[in-house]
Amino acid sequence: MYVEMKQINKTFDGFLASNNVSFGIEKGHLAALLGPSGSGKTTILRMIAGLDKPDSGDILINGVKVNNLPGSKRGIGFVFQNYALFRYMTVADNIAFGLKVQKKSKAEIKSRVEELLELISMQELGKRYPHQLSGGQRQRVAFARALAPNPQLLLLDEPFAAIDAKVRRELRTWLKEMIERVGITSIFVTHDQEEAMEVADTIIITNQGSIEQIGTPEEICKNPKTDFVKDFIDTRRYEALKQLMNE
Amino acid sequence: METYEKGMEKLAMSEKIRTYQQDIVGDGIESIQKVKEPHGDNSGRAVKYALIAVSVLFLFVMLVLPLIVVIVNALRDGWAVYIRSVRDEYTVKAFWLTVLATVAAATVNTFFGIFAAYLISKFYFRGRQLLVTLIDIPFSISPVIAGLIFILTFGNVGWMGDFLKAHGIKIVFAVPGVILATIFVTFPFVFRELLPVMSAQGKDEEEAAGLMGARGFTIFRRITLPHIKWALLYGVILCTARAMGEFGAVSVISGHLRGKTNTLPLHVEILYNEFNTTAAFAVSSILVILAVLILIARNIVEWKQKK
Amino acid sequence: MKKNTAYLLILTILLSALASGCGKAPGASSEKGGNREILNVSYDPTREFYAKYNELFCAYWAEEHGESVTVTQSHGGSGSQARSVIEGNEADVVTLALAHDITAIEEAGLIDAGWMEEFDCSSSPYTSTIVFLVRKGNEKNIRDWDDLVKEGVEVITPNPKTSGGACWNFLAAWAYWQEQYGGNEEEIRNAMKMLYQNVLVLDTGARGATNTFVGNGQGDVLIAWENEAYLAMEEYPGQYEIVTPSISILAQPSVAVVDSHVEEHGTAELAKAYLEYLYSDEAQRLAGEHYYRPSNEEILQEFSEQFDLHMNLVTIEDFGGWNAAYETYFNDGAVFDQIYAE
Repeated sequence: MYVEMKQINKTFDGFLASNNVSFGIEKGHLAALLGPSGSGKTTILRMIAGLDKPDSGDILINGVKVNNLPGSKRGIGFVFQNYALFRYMTVADNIAFGLKVQKKSKAEIKSRVEELLELISMQELGKRYPHQLSGGQRQRVAFARALAPNPQLLLLDEPFAAIDAKVRRELRTWLKEMIERVGITSIFVTHDQEEAMEVADTIIITNQGSIEQIGTPEEICKNPKTDFVKDFIDTRRYEALKQLMNE
Repeated sequence: METYEKGMEKLAMSEKIRTYQQDIVGDGIESIQKVKEPHGDNSGRAVKYALIAVSVLFLFVMLVLPLIVVIVNALRDGWAVYIRSVRDEYTVKAFWLTVLATVAAATVNTFFGIFAAYLISKFYFRGRQLLVTLIDIPFSISPVIAGLIFILTFGNVGWMGDFLKAHGIKIVFAVPGVILATIFVTFPFVFRELLPVMSAQGKDEEEAAGLMGARGFTIFRRITLPHIKWALLYGVILCTARAMGEFGAVSVISGHLRGKTNTLPLHVEILYNEFNTTAAFAVSSILVILAVLILIARNIVEWKQKK
Repeated sequence: MKKNTAYLLILTILLSALASGCGKAPGASSEKGGNREILNVSYDPTREFYAKYNELFCAYWAEEHGESVTVTQSHGGSGSQARSVIEGNEADVVTLALAHDITAIEEAGLIDAGWMEEFDCSSSPYTSTIVFLVRKGNEKNIRDWDDLVKEGVEVITPNPKTSGGACWNFLAAWAYWQEQYGGNEEEIRNAMKMLYQNVLVLDTGARGATNTFVGNGQGDVLIAWENEAYLAMEEYPGQYEIVTPSISILAQPSVAVVDSHVEEHGTAELAKAYLEYLYSDEAQRLAGEHYYRPSNEEILQEFSEQFDLHMNLVTIEDFGGWNAAYETYFNDGAVFDQIYAE
């Protein structure tokens, strides 16, 4: 297992956000944390990123216990829900930021930024500012920025929540392609099961701070383990979707 | 349908009517409400001019007229007397003390304001609201009371008096006291300007930067600062203007030592008390000039901010 | 980056300025180049006099001792000034409006006992009295204290709680009605009450009151130090008249060296000389020119044209001395408070 959570507990002001959470994700996989709002999925993501600290339990990345390691030292790339692009910097500067902090040479930064701009098909837009971009474009810049410093783990917090429905589909597919191309282990949070089913290799279902089930999309549809999963997952939709995709 | 829409477009171009467009029925089509008010036009204009007239009159009486009086009186005895009053040894010393106190106040309160606004807008902790209220205290208490508080704390009879005396530290009735009083009364300005801007900004960008390994100062410099730039400048300007004109608190704490602890406003009072009204107005005009400069700076800042 | 560096620089400069400002009280024996400093904390109307006297004294001291001296002045209501010295204003000498204010400083431990005997004439190098200042023409025909309690007469006088001159004013008035009513306390109080009811503005200092009357043009009559009245006449010739009441009081402003401060500053000798010099002929004449009555009898005679030397004056001794007088009339809850509160 590349990423492991072992018996994680977290309470916010008396509210139990994570209750004995344990799971593992294989290297190179794209995993989805799926569940209704308030079920604790974002909390888990943030704890892996180091933005919040668990009350008890262990987090391991590539076999290393990272509990006491600050987020910046865990090799994480994070894509925020609202992208959190630096609004006073150009697209190129945004992407370059992580590298500048690591004090890479100017030449290195330049080439890497160009590489990423190409990856996200925005070569001409390097000098634009975030407010001059569409939602989808900002999404892609956030993705590039997270990838720039070559992280070992990519985390995405509801990456498509702020996108309109039309663009969402396209972007979803694009993201899966990109992640496969780069080969980076990724975890994303979503409450949209269609999204999770379509994109993820592994799905982790959360509910009220606990893990309900972990498995591939097929496993979950075929063998829902708990009542909640049975209610939550609309299996027929998945079947119809699969058929559509195979056609 | 098309003619109707074209018609609507034409009408929309006329600004007067646009203000009355509403979707009254809720069917998605904006209807014109105004047509039935034949005199609506004129009464609107009359109100507008009346308001402008009142504002101009108010500004004239409260602002322009006193300024004119100051300048006229300053030059009443001629240019030579004016120059002499302004270049008088005590005036110059008072000027530099005012400058010192103002710069000190602006600097200290900028540092503090940034720090406090950052703390309160980015972190959640108990007593957050209490801290905001405490910071606003200088706004609510009379400057004279503030001066008295300092005397009762740092003066000989104050509870810190013995300690300070033992270490030879002079605060009240000396320059540090003047500076302290000025810092106190202008305390909240920068903070107040920054807080809403920083609160609106949220934590995301900074968290993102932090995750990528940026340290505190880098985050502040590259992400927070560009965002608060204009609010910061504006707060500093307000702080400076207030510091320059401060009278009450400084008057209580200064001891009126001529040539040592008199700021420009205090010096004006002294001149006035010595039956030297022309000189008093002359020195006042220095403050007026400084105020005008600050006003110009403020307008430039506002104009740039809008861009 | 540039902005922050600038700020840091400014802060460093300022902190160092502050640091240098601390710990260096005026008058600290900083004898670089032989320049010494003393601080004279005085009362309100003496501004012009001490400005000139300081020039005189510094010239004298430079000649005698080859040192240059800087005298820093501070002026304000006598009571307030005394309080500021107690609270930490490091005066080397105090030249206040009445002995009681100096006694307060003595009681705070800053002046040694027996200060009044240190200089001639009970440490009162110049005296004054209380007169009325009225506008030219004296429309309301004010001649004596009785006229001040008439209806429609607006009086300007400062507040005895903060101003020394105001205390003298009060006692002079009291003396008058004491004489009138032969010690009938109730009548006297009544008259005083009517007087203060006619007061339009109660300033904190004598100079403030003068300004209210002269500068702001308020009131019909100003109860003032004689020297203030003459000064106002000099500044605004032809606009005012002085009316001498039938009874007034010999106002004795006192001076003293603030022992504990001069000890710290090392200015004991200088401070004492500074006050001694007030009794020199030149200084006495200077006082007379500034409308203070020199305590040197001979020199006082030189000003017989200027001053009415035949005024009927009571003294503070008639009130049992300042301690008794202050306790009876000016303490919290004493006669003034009672009268003014009603």
